[in-house]
Amino acid sequence: MKNQLYPLILFAVGLFSCELDNYDAPTASMSGRFVDAQTGGLVEQDLINGTVIQLAEHGYDPVGLQYLAVKNDGTFENKLLFENTYTVQPVRGNFYPLDEQEVKITSGTTLDFEVTPYLRIINPQISYSNGKVTATFSIGQTGAANVRKIGLFAHPNPVVGQPVQVYSVEEDLNRDVTEDEVFTLEIDVINNSSIFGKYNDFFFRIGAIANAAESKYNYVTAERITL
Amino acid sequence: MNYYKMILSYWISIVFLSIFGCSESPEPDPVQKPVPTDPPPTEITYDEEGLLYTGIDGLVMAGYQGWFAAEGDESNRGWYHYRAGCGFQPGCSTIDMWPDVSEYPKTYPTDFKFQNGETARLFSSYDAETTDLHFKWMQEYGIDGVYLQRFVAEVRDSNPAGKRHFDKVLENALASAKKYGRAVCIMYDLSGAESEEVRNFVEKDFFELVSRYKLFDNSENPTYLRENGKPLLAVWGVGFNDNRKYTIDDVSVLVNKLKGTRNRVSVMLGVPYWWRSMGNDTENNPQLHEVIKNADVLMPWAVGRYSSDNYASVSSQTLVSDLQWCKSNEVKYMPLVFPGFSWGNMNEGAEYNAIPRLKGDFFWQQVNGAVKSGAESLYIAMFDEIDEGTSIFKVLHEGSTPVNGDGKFIGIEPELPSDHYLYLTGEAGKWLKGGTGFNSSQPVRQ
Repeated sequence: MKNQLYPLILFAVGLFSCELDNYDAPTASMSGRFVDAQTGGLVEQDLINGTVIQLAEHGYDPVGLQYLAVKNDGTFENKLLFENTYTVQPVRGNFYPLDEQEVKITSGTTLDFEVTPYLRIINPQISYSNGKVTATFSIGQTGAANVRKIGLFAHPNPVVGQPVQVYSVEEDLNRDVTEDEVFTLEIDVINNSSIFGKYNDFFFRIGAIANAAESKYNYVTAERITL
Repeated sequence: MNYYKMILSYWISIVFLSIFGCSESPEPDPVQKPVPTDPPPTEITYDEEGLLYTGIDGLVMAGYQGWFAAEGDESNRGWYHYRAGCGFQPGCSTIDMWPDVSEYPKTYPTDFKFQNGETARLFSSYDAETTDLHFKWMQEYGIDGVYLQRFVAEVRDSNPAGKRHFDKVLENALASAKKYGRAVCIMYDLSGAESEEVRNFVEKDFFELVSRYKLFDNSENPTYLRENGKPLLAVWGVGFNDNRKYTIDDVSVLVNKLKGTRNRVSVMLGVPYWWRSMGNDTENNPQLHEVIKNADVLMPWAVGRYSSDNYASVSSQTLVSDLQWCKSNEVKYMPLVFPGFSWGNMNEGAEYNAIPRLKGDFFWQQVNGAVKSGAESLYIAMFDEIDEGTSIFKVLHEGSTPVNGDGKFIGIEPELPSDHYLYLTGEAGKWLKGGTGFNSSQPVRQ
């Protein structure tokens, strides 16, 4: 008799257990850009392990934090948010820290962050000849943080960067630089044919990372090169 | 019939209501009488003719303690700020650095001796000759001027000896500033103040000084610092989370009183280093930001917040972001630079040279960071602070200081001239004023 009751109990539990989850689907969204306060250009990022936007939804105790990833080009978008007021703060970025702010997020909310990137890549040039990809560039320091390292990263996908690459060259600097100084980094494609022979096209991206707390690479847009 | 009665009473009601419904409303006054009000207060404008310093941009100024007294000087305060609780003799003092007094016209013998048995001498801040020499150095090395410290605890009514001392130093400093064309600005240090003193005493004391020394008189004091078209007054010590006896609200009241209804002065606030994020040394109270927004200049206290080793990491979280915040809120931001830190004699068990000077590299590291972050003025801590070993004025070299019982005095590195930090401060000023040839390496003296 008892055994006959179990299916009924399970059925009842199953029937009512979903009742609490019957919330409306998320209807709010937030999109925006990370903009260089001085140049007005987008601040390029890493998609993986790059800047994230920390959201704390109001009305909960304790507050569970949510994180939005930022795209490589410095834009972001999330369409699966619940309409509410949030405390919003970009964290672990490649720019000088921003303070948190309260934002009422509804359908189609846009929010641009004006930031000062730790470093600016100036006059980037990437060329391919004689089996070598050569990048030249200068760096602008925007504050006290000097340059820890520079890098040139390669990957078949345009999201290339320090965390997403099949080949890279990096050089430690750990010093101040001036905008007159020209840096050159080179990738030998011929001697690394086991990597570069797999695809016709590769994306190459110049980056530089500052000596700052939780600093991330600053970049320019990746350049596609047919090898 | 009842139906006709009802219709009739309805219309009668309408007529009565039309006639009397509004009868209790007063007749509208055909002429609007203006309500008598005071004219809105107009903001004070000051004539700036003849003034040498009408804004802080491009200025490098140091904090000036002026609190040292000597046994035998006219202050009658004994070895004030030199002596420890046990007195002032070998093994017993508060100072970590010994001033190079070779250029002082007036000095006083101490119980300290050099290795060769010679008596070590010291200056008194109370003497006009001392102040004169200090301002002469400022002119010689291109240091724009000083913020004259005025501790509430030193000048309160119950401390007449302290008030006499600080008034005398102020009087001497005003004369020397005029003589050498150096900027001066009074800075109230609220440390040790009571709530009531912050709310009432500071404003009263300051405007007494304004009146007595004609601080705002262009010909009497042509170098008293101005900002935003007004004389500048600095107030140090708001927002620290070290259990002070006054609150941020008390300082808010003070700032409003100082400015008055006609915005008669500009105010600079000395705040803790982590003021923006309200962590670490800062009270977690959003009212702090409201008080700051009501001020004109902000100077966060950086002494002890980093050393050369972690300067890059720490300052990357503050300088640029602080500057952005201040720019958004129309407050000027003045970073602090200090040469090093040592208070081994003042605090038993404390480390000597706790923040090493590294022959000036640490000082220049901060100058470089501040300038590259966009700072337009600097606060140097301090001109004459030898209790905490932050002084930039001339002190004796390591190994050439008097003997100090079981303890010691630290000195400037033997490879450096004793005026090295005065020189570096002057060079920082040149860089801020647009001078070229400066970079992250400290300048090489010709």
